[in-house]
Amino acid sequence: MSNHAPVLPSPRRPLRVRALVRAASPAMLWLLLCAALGVSACGTDYKSTADTASVIRPEPVRAVFHPSTGPIAVDLVNTSDKPVAIGEFRIEGPDWTSFALVEPVNATVLRPGDRLKLHVKVEAAELLGPGEPIRGAVVEHGDAPEEIAADEYRHGTAHLSFKAAGVVTAVPLEFEDPSWVSQYVLPALIKVLLLVMAFIMPLASLLTWMERKQSAMMQDRIGPNMARVSIGGVTLRLWGLLHIATDGLKMLFKEDFIPRRAHRALYTLAPLFAFVPAMVVFAIVPFGDAVCYGQLFDSLSEADVAQCAAGRGGTPLQIAQIDVGLLYYFAIASLATYGTTLAGWASYNKWAVLGALRASAQMISYEVAIGLTIVGALLCYGTLEPHALVKAQEASHWGLVLQPIAFILFFTAAIAETKRAPFDLPEGESEIIGYFIEYSGMRFGLFFLGEFIEVVFVSALVSTLFLGGWNLPFGILGAHGFSSALTCQLFFLGAGLVLTASGAAIWRASKHAEGVASVIIVLGTIHLVVAVWSAFTGWGTALPHIAIVTIGLLTWGLKVLALCWLQLLIRWTLPRFRYDQLMSLGWKGLLPLSIANIVLTALVVYALAPSAPPAAAPPTGAPPTAVPAAGGTAEAPTPAAAPKSPNPSPAAAGQP
Amino acid sequence: MTIGVKKVSLQRTTRDQIFLPAILEGLLTTARHFFKNTMTKGMGDVDTIRYGEPGVDPKSYYPERFRGVHRLMFRDDGSVRCVACMCCSTVCPARCIYIVAEDREDNNEKGPATFVIDELKCVVCGLCVEACPCDAIRMDTRTHMTPTEAREDAVLRKVDLMSRGGPSVAVQGGLGADYRADAPAADPRFVGR
Repeated sequence: MSNHAPVLPSPRRPLRVRALVRAASPAMLWLLLCAALGVSACGTDYKSTADTASVIRPEPVRAVFHPSTGPIAVDLVNTSDKPVAIGEFRIEGPDWTSFALVEPVNATVLRPGDRLKLHVKVEAAELLGPGEPIRGAVVEHGDAPEEIAADEYRHGTAHLSFKAAGVVTAVPLEFEDPSWVSQYVLPALIKVLLLVMAFIMPLASLLTWMERKQSAMMQDRIGPNMARVSIGGVTLRLWGLLHIATDGLKMLFKEDFIPRRAHRALYTLAPLFAFVPAMVVFAIVPFGDAVCYGQLFDSLSEADVAQCAAGRGGTPLQIAQIDVGLLYYFAIASLATYGTTLAGWASYNKWAVLGALRASAQMISYEVAIGLTIVGALLCYGTLEPHALVKAQEASHWGLVLQPIAFILFFTAAIAETKRAPFDLPEGESEIIGYFIEYSGMRFGLFFLGEFIEVVFVSALVSTLFLGGWNLPFGILGAHGFSSALTCQLFFLGAGLVLTASGAAIWRASKHAEGVASVIIVLGTIHLVVAVWSAFTGWGTALPHIAIVTIGLLTWGLKVLALCWLQLLIRWTLPRFRYDQLMSLGWKGLLPLSIANIVLTALVVYALAPSAPPAAAPPTGAPPTAVPAAGGTAEAPTPAAAPKSPNPSPAAAGQP
Repeated sequence: MTIGVKKVSLQRTTRDQIFLPAILEGLLTTARHFFKNTMTKGMGDVDTIRYGEPGVDPKSYYPERFRGVHRLMFRDDGSVRCVACMCCSTVCPARCIYIVAEDREDNNEKGPATFVIDELKCVVCGLCVEACPCDAIRMDTRTHMTPTEAREDAVLRKVDLMSRGGPSVAVQGGLGADYRADAPAADPRFVGR
């Protein structure tokens, strides 16, 4: 095709150089900006560390009490490199009578790095309203005194003051009686909105496009790319991303068909039964550690964040922190079976009923395996509560390391639970369209979207149970910041290199992607600049709280996204099972293996447990409110620490 | 000779029974395709022709020897090159070419009084082009026969065919006996055999 084929490469060369310059210029701008910021921040940084107040760091920075809170441990840590004399502990402030040290503390000398443990308790009864402050406390009332009923608590404040290195320092103590609305309803609503509107729904609709585009990319096709929008003469095609919107519109405007002899009520309810449980189970997924309300820009310690995670002065980034978290998941996820069964039965279609039978049989079979695979993780970490599970993984190792077999089994069974290939017999998308064969329009859309939400949920659950939730690997990011300046530099260097390289690859790959690629390159450059800055200033060990929370959210989101990608990869790689193979894999493969995993894990945990008689072993899933959460970091649950010590546990668990 | 028997074991090996190695292999294969197609220039292994997409000239994808609608070529004076030898209509498997011959005024050659191609019958085989001794009929127009609303619109007459035509560089009537003039000398080994 010599004389007719268009000649492409040669005339584009000058263009490419220009394009590179175009991409590099914002990057250079950023570089300069960051460098300027870095220089300006350097100066202020050193001044603040010389401050005497920060020689002794209290953990937590402030202690917040609720009516049912037990003694709170306050650690005083010597952060300087010299021994510091510390003494004259006293509790002062308006409500000093209500707070007390649990045991008296003597003046002492703290060596560098040492911590002094104090326990502060509150006498909540003294803060019951109404009434004047008791026994000579000085209260500065405003113009109008607040009205407090007899069975309500007053807001109480005091501070624990001590003298360290000749300077009087104070740790604020606060007592508050949170209303049900401010404590539970509002934070929960905000978190629900955030999670659903900013994460689940966008990701689920993204998956509808990603499924088609990714399968096309895996099969050397182009995939959906035709939906486009014109804004002021500029036509955007965005690699077919707009197909999300066109698909949604298509479903909304399609005929809503109901078979004549269908059971109308159940036929209407069935999509909801499939969709709602998939959304509701997200309540237990922790998508971050905790947010401390008033301390977003302070560098906090583990104790602070633990206090916020318990709901005092902050809120955990989890919609419902319930002790039976994973049982709740099983309970709700089983409801999804009703959706499929009802859909099949109510459709008045024999093929739909058959599909529904296949679906319910499959889901029930694999639920057994799912339940048993998780038991291994429970044995290791000793809790059913997802937030605590993640904290336990942070304290020891990720579930992937301690429970590799359980990870594979769980992931397999969970994919079977979502009824997608290679386990898509209930649906059989390419041939038979099982239980929702009669559904059309948005009713079908609910099944369709529910399936993708389940995919997101499986990813979220796997990352919570086995991939350390919001944590970065190897515990390099704690509540205060990176574990050392070196890990900070390595992290930002690695992230920057990955981002820049992939941005450059995307830039080369397509001229339509230059905008996206330059954004990625700029992001990568920022990371690299931060790494360099950290190398010069030692920055990174004390980050503001909001930065830690953001990094946690991003980490969690990326883990979920990567697992969604993996699930799509699996779905478009593996061929479908035959029905007898499906059942034999479930009952004769996964079930015995998961039981073997439980037995092995139990043996290893028992062997490595501290030499306490089995009767004295701590009960699993003890409610955190019953044990005063005062312990903070020091009193980590023993089962979590048990498998940590030597290596054999993952190796032994890997035997079957 | 004995017929060899190859025994194929249907017993699944341990590797097959574990599933995981084969699954990982498959996942690696598809993942490799995914990253190659998303991250490399020109979409890696994707061979799809973006035919019909805005900004893409479909003709740039036509092969050099693409057979399109017929055309009739001119002589230098603008008259048709065809000498009505009937080669094309004879070779045509679809019998879609109709020629009525007449005497030409300017010399003693024949020429077509009518030259009609029924494009509805044409099977686009290109045999007429190969059969033509005068380089009169060609199919190198690089256009499809477009659909028509009336049947008779698809029957192309001489005027239609010549409207796409152009001058040909071939010597009208061929070189005659001189066509051997430029031929290389015969291999002496075979001369006189």
